[in-house]
Amino acid sequence: MSEENNINITINDQPLSVPKGTLVVEAAKQIGIEIPVFCYHEKLGPFGCCRMCLVEIEKMPKLTTACTQTVMPDMVVKTESPKVVKAQQGVLEFTLLNHPLDCPVCDKGGECPLQNNTFKYGPGDTRMEFERANRDKATPLSPVITIDRERCIACQRCTRYSDIIEQESALVMLNRGFNNEVGTFNNEPYATKYSGNVIDICPVGALTNTQFRFKARTWDLDNAATLCAHCGCNCNMTLGSRTNKFMRIETRPNDLVDDGWICDKARFGYGFIESDNRIVEATILVDGEQKVANTLETATQTAEFLKKIVDEHGPESIGFIGSPFGTNEELYLYHKLFRFTLGTNNLDHKNYLDTPGLPVDHYDFLNIETANLVLLIGSDPAEELPILDLRIKKAVTRKGVKLAILNDQGTELDKIADLSLKYDVGSDGIALAALANSLSSELDIPMVQGNSNDESPTGIAVDQMKKMSELVRTAMKVCVVYNPASFTGSSIFMLKHLLGVINKIPTMECGAIPAAPFTNSVGAMDMGILPDYYPGGISSSDSDKVQQIWGDSAFLDTKGFSALEMIDKAESGELKALLIYRSDPLVDFPDGKRVEAALKNLPLLVVHDMMKTETSALADIVLPSNGPGYDEGTTTNIGGRVQYRKRGLNTNNSPDWKIISKMINSLSEKPIEYLTSFSVTEELSQTVPGYNEISKKSIKKEGKTREKIEYTNGSIPEIQKIDSSGKGLKLRVATQLFTEDKVLDASSPLAHHFLPSTLYLHESDALKLDLSNGDQAVLTANGVDVGATVEVSDRCNPGAVVVPRVSDDQGLLRLARSGFVSWVEVKRG
Amino acid sequence: MFTFTQEDENKIEKIVEKYPVKLSALLPLLTLVQRREGYISPEAMQAIGKKLDVSPGYVQSVMSFYTMYHTEPTGKYIILFCHNISCQLNGADDLFAYTGQKLGVIGGGTTKDSKFTLHKEECLAACCGAPMMRVNDTFHENLTKEKIDQILDSLP
Amino acid sequence: MTQILFKNIDMKGLTSIDVYEKQGGYQSLKKAFAKKPEEIVEMVKASGLRGRGGAGFPAGLKWSFLAKDVFPRYLACNADESEPGTCKDRELLEKTPHLLIEGIIVTCFACRIETGYIYYRGEFQHASDLMDKAIEEAHKKGYLGKNIMGSGLDLDLYTHLGAGAYICGEESALLNSLEGRRGEPRLKPPFPAVEGLYGKPTVINNVETLCVVPWIINEGAEKHAALGTEKSKGTKLVSVSGHVKKPGNYEIVLGTPTSELIFNLAGGIRGDNKLKAFIPGGSSANILTADKVDVPYDYEAIAEAGSMLGSGALIVMDHTVNIVEAALRMTYFYMHESCGKCTPCREGTRWMYQILSDIQDGKGSNKQIEKLEDICDNMSFKCFCALGDAAVAPVASSIMHFRSDYDELLKKMEGDTVTA
Ligand SMILES: Cc1cc2nc3c(=O)[nH]c(=O)nc-3n(C[C@H](O)[C@H](O)[C@H](O)COP(=O)(O)O)c2cc1C
Ligand code: SF4
Ligand code: FES
Repeated sequence: MSEENNINITINDQPLSVPKGTLVVEAAKQIGIEIPVFCYHEKLGPFGCCRMCLVEIEKMPKLTTACTQTVMPDMVVKTESPKVVKAQQGVLEFTLLNHPLDCPVCDKGGECPLQNNTFKYGPGDTRMEFERANRDKATPLSPVITIDRERCIACQRCTRYSDIIEQESALVMLNRGFNNEVGTFNNEPYATKYSGNVIDICPVGALTNTQFRFKARTWDLDNAATLCAHCGCNCNMTLGSRTNKFMRIETRPNDLVDDGWICDKARFGYGFIESDNRIVEATILVDGEQKVANTLETATQTAEFLKKIVDEHGPESIGFIGSPFGTNEELYLYHKLFRFTLGTNNLDHKNYLDTPGLPVDHYDFLNIETANLVLLIGSDPAEELPILDLRIKKAVTRKGVKLAILNDQGTELDKIADLSLKYDVGSDGIALAALANSLSSELDIPMVQGNSNDESPTGIAVDQMKKMSELVRTAMKVCVVYNPASFTGSSIFMLKHLLGVINKIPTMECGAIPAAPFTNSVGAMDMGILPDYYPGGISSSDSDKVQQIWGDSAFLDTKGFSALEMIDKAESGELKALLIYRSDPLVDFPDGKRVEAALKNLPLLVVHDMMKTETSALADIVLPSNGPGYDEGTTTNIGGRVQYRKRGLNTNNSPDWKIISKMINSLSEKPIEYLTSFSVTEELSQTVPGYNEISKKSIKKEGKTREKIEYTNGSIPEIQKIDSSGKGLKLRVATQLFTEDKVLDASSPLAHHFLPSTLYLHESDALKLDLSNGDQAVLTANGVDVGATVEVSDRCNPGAVVVPRVSDDQGLLRLARSGFVSWVEVKRG
Repeated sequence: MFTFTQEDENKIEKIVEKYPVKLSALLPLLTLVQRREGYISPEAMQAIGKKLDVSPGYVQSVMSFYTMYHTEPTGKYIILFCHNISCQLNGADDLFAYTGQKLGVIGGGTTKDSKFTLHKEECLAACCGAPMMRVNDTFHENLTKEKIDQILDSLP
Repeated sequence: MTQILFKNIDMKGLTSIDVYEKQGGYQSLKKAFAKKPEEIVEMVKASGLRGRGGAGFPAGLKWSFLAKDVFPRYLACNADESEPGTCKDRELLEKTPHLLIEGIIVTCFACRIETGYIYYRGEFQHASDLMDKAIEEAHKKGYLGKNIMGSGLDLDLYTHLGAGAYICGEESALLNSLEGRRGEPRLKPPFPAVEGLYGKPTVINNVETLCVVPWIINEGAEKHAALGTEKSKGTKLVSVSGHVKKPGNYEIVLGTPTSELIFNLAGGIRGDNKLKAFIPGGSSANILTADKVDVPYDYEAIAEAGSMLGSGALIVMDHTVNIVEAALRMTYFYMHESCGKCTPCREGTRWMYQILSDIQDGKGSNKQIEKLEDICDNMSFKCFCALGDAAVAPVASSIMHFRSDYDELLKKMEGDTVTA
């Protein structure tokens, strides 16, 4: 903000200069003067209902609320005058009139604004001579939130949150006047995806975390400033523990990432930390039985086994399937182990195609608010990246940003979109090409092959696509958010081509956010957990660069296999050993039945994971991974921001980085001993392009965006043919935030969110199949059946079905085909 | 199950047309339902919410702010009996008590035969005709016991 | 006495457009359309017309505050009339709906407004139905709709019903209610003239205010300005209710002594009782003692006497009234009608009601009266909107002027204790 926009004011005789538009309460904060508040919350904006922040302003006849008053030139504010003190005491007296004095048993005790304000500004004594109003004591507002209506001071923070921030209006103010109460429609549970934030913003103990109630006093907690590990947003949060027992999770606002909020999966989805299903020790399969072994010794053994196979069958005979859930350090070390120690390029972390680097800027969360248009492609933020969803809602409803959506399924955000177009399932490549060509035709850019004017293949009418391209063309600043995991085949190349085209529009600023739903997808690519790329987006065929950065011996002459190809090779017997790190291909990869057979075919299967999975059950060797809560290291979010995930609980188990470095060291002549995970960070910052400014210090407060990763694949892709070889309907698997899987199991407090297996069927297909709402149906493919209840809807275009992945047991991906669009036959069940 | 009739739909279309923003039709829609059904059920709130693209919770939040909406069935005739200052000065309290007694709903409420719902009400802008009551849409002023008898007894 | 609004008020059939036109209705339009919109604003300014809804803010001045060059603009006519003691707007609405329409047309022309809403309190279904009919008639005659009388003005006018909430008479709560929200007041600034209905510049005026406008156009600003006192121009409808022989709405020239209203127009105190107290401007105005009865009925003089003209509701109480009981009833009203948004009003009105009930029931104490005074002080000018201040008026003024009524009730208690 330039100086000339500043305004000079005086607060309690102290002069200061603040930007125009600053609220008095914020101005005071800047010079360390506290003005007490209840209803004011910086993210909710001025409201002025509690009257706690009354101040005296010279030349104004009445006291004014500092939370609603913006600064004016030469304003003179008094926050401690006798008039103000009297008013504060009066307001507090009113506030406490019907509030119980149960601080000793209240969970908010110790961190309660009401308690603090009363202590500092309150009247000495209560003059209330009547019985306090009779309101409900603790009652469940949902399975995870308890409401004590008698403690509520009607500040409307929570209801405004539900209205303004999550935009659900699910928690609302009911009745009028003294009978005001916070509630829900017809007393139904308050069960949005973001409900838990109201606990943090309630300035009294009216809304509390049901799990945390009476567990501990707030001042007895050990609080770790850490990150959420559930999705690619990497929201900041505080993990509170007591005597090494998990207690609760709270927000830890970082405007650059989460804007102060976390979703309910972050807050209530950490039960797995204490799950019986955790892998806590190494085991080796001996005579068909898992025998417990020393972890580090097992690591050494594993390395030796792998080396032996390499020696016997060559480096192509082993592979590594990593995971977008590991930290950068862990993944970086695995890259070292497999590339430099074992000499193979067989590394991957996913079952879809993606490449590092972007032909445009890598945008951060803030860019969503500053763009003129957000173009959302194949992404369902509400289910995949909830805090991204909130950010987009904020941008659209409060920052005037336009929203254009291109997807094969309908999503919640369609409601607020300026334009939302649905392409047929499987026609993503053509839809992207059509948009790119529509833009190219206005510029002097070669078009991709294929005819963009051909209407039918995508299900999107030409004039609609034209509208979309006009929105983009005239936007001046576009933020493209896309989910690479939603694309079939090689459409990711078409997406990147589209980005390049947009970028060529004169006076256009364009950036993108690769919004894969997983915690550290960006990091995994940056760390080179890809068959064709070394860390930092360096192509594995670029021998010069590889040798320049990692030394002469670093270049490998062989092409690597993708994860899906490795499964093929395992099936054919060419692959002899596979190390799978924090991934469950049996459940998460397409055609699980075949994956199972392939993995069983391997002479050596090593699984390094934190939870027992279907895959770990097949392993010859199992290594324990500490996982979120116990682990530490950096992750890179979808905005390219590198942040530090701190340990919240202690464990005697070796951290993953130690286990992996043990494997490396046991095969190296010059072992490197890392002291902490930060030693690995330090090393990777020196060797991974884009990460050289990442250090313990630089990421400490709010993280740091890594530099742009090189983009190498610039050739113009071909339009993928629509695959019409299958029978039945095309299958679109939808991501569900609350899925009953290894992380959220039946004992989870979020179990009420689990959905039954549901099949979204277009009306025209339902008619053909003679199915209607509520019917039981069976989906068949790959010799596997999956049951689901029919819901007739226009969630996708005719010819396809959308099926949310609701649980691991559902086995949905067993129906899928690798790499391409999948077909299912649907019958009445 | 609550559904809008075709007649409702026609009315709703006309109502929504009055405003540049659909949500403005919320009170008119609630009023429409209240007048037809005598109260507003949760299902009606859901139906209204759907019409106007707001959550049913939002509808309930707004509805519960206004005293003319009821969430329980009401009688055929809703009597709003003013007890505010001008009417009080003119003996409204006695007449209210009298009416309650007469209808068998002391202090207010709905009669067993669902014919009347009696409500003590705040000032209804008929102070110069105090004491007064409103029976459905009609204002009755300068009340006396006899007049009340006559009005209530004459209602079908 | 000059009658601006009530001259023909009891004429038969006045609700129909033909009768209305015959007695000179809609004549102001032609005159108005011959002028520039700004000229009309200036005229209304010069006329000295002040808002009749309660605050008495100069109407023309308010119109001139409309955000420049921002369109569309809206008009919201305040027909919520909920202030206890007030029933003058209802009489206008039910007896002469076309007068309001005429006033609205001129106002919209002056302010370049194309859409107007009349916000009725929910209980005014009957009046609103009448208005719908009148609007239809006006449409047919070409007074509403496109390019009215060739003036270039397009105007659509609609009725909108509330549903039982006094607070919706407060202009910003009215806007919320009209937008389909809870009737909680909004932060000011921005004022409605800048950001009102749907975030657009909005004129909000009371029914009576708008009804005066055609007369000003017809008769000239000077003629209006010549009526009344220096700062209170024109006539005012006063609802005289309570213990008078002939309660009713009376139109007086501002500045007429209050005693004239009570003893002459309204026929004096019922029976042969004595005047004890009167509230000059609705329940939100301070209660005054009988000795103030000669105060000229105008904005300044009543303010000087320690109360306010408000909405023009003169509530008269004779010597049989214990003022505490009256204050208790009015406090109940404010408790019932507080929207609950802000703490002092929500909690304060209820606490005052609890204490007054104690006193009324003979369970009070001197200390409680002191406490009441302090609660009044803690509420005054500290609430979100003016309802909180209004709630203080009956309590504070009753303690100040009628302390003996309180003492009587306290004594009753002492008496009770003695007998016990
Ligand atoms: C609590 C409260 C209730 C009000 N009720 C009414 C009302 O019923 N009718 C009205 O015209 N103005 C009412 N007002 C005044 C309006 O806010 C506003 O000042 C008025 O409608 C403006 O019109 P005017 O300038 O023509 O008077 C009320 C104000 C408050 C604070
Ligand atoms: S529950 Fe808490 S946040 Fe919500 S209104 Fe009450 S005090 Fe405010
Ligand atoms: S913090 Fe300012 S009014 Fe509540």
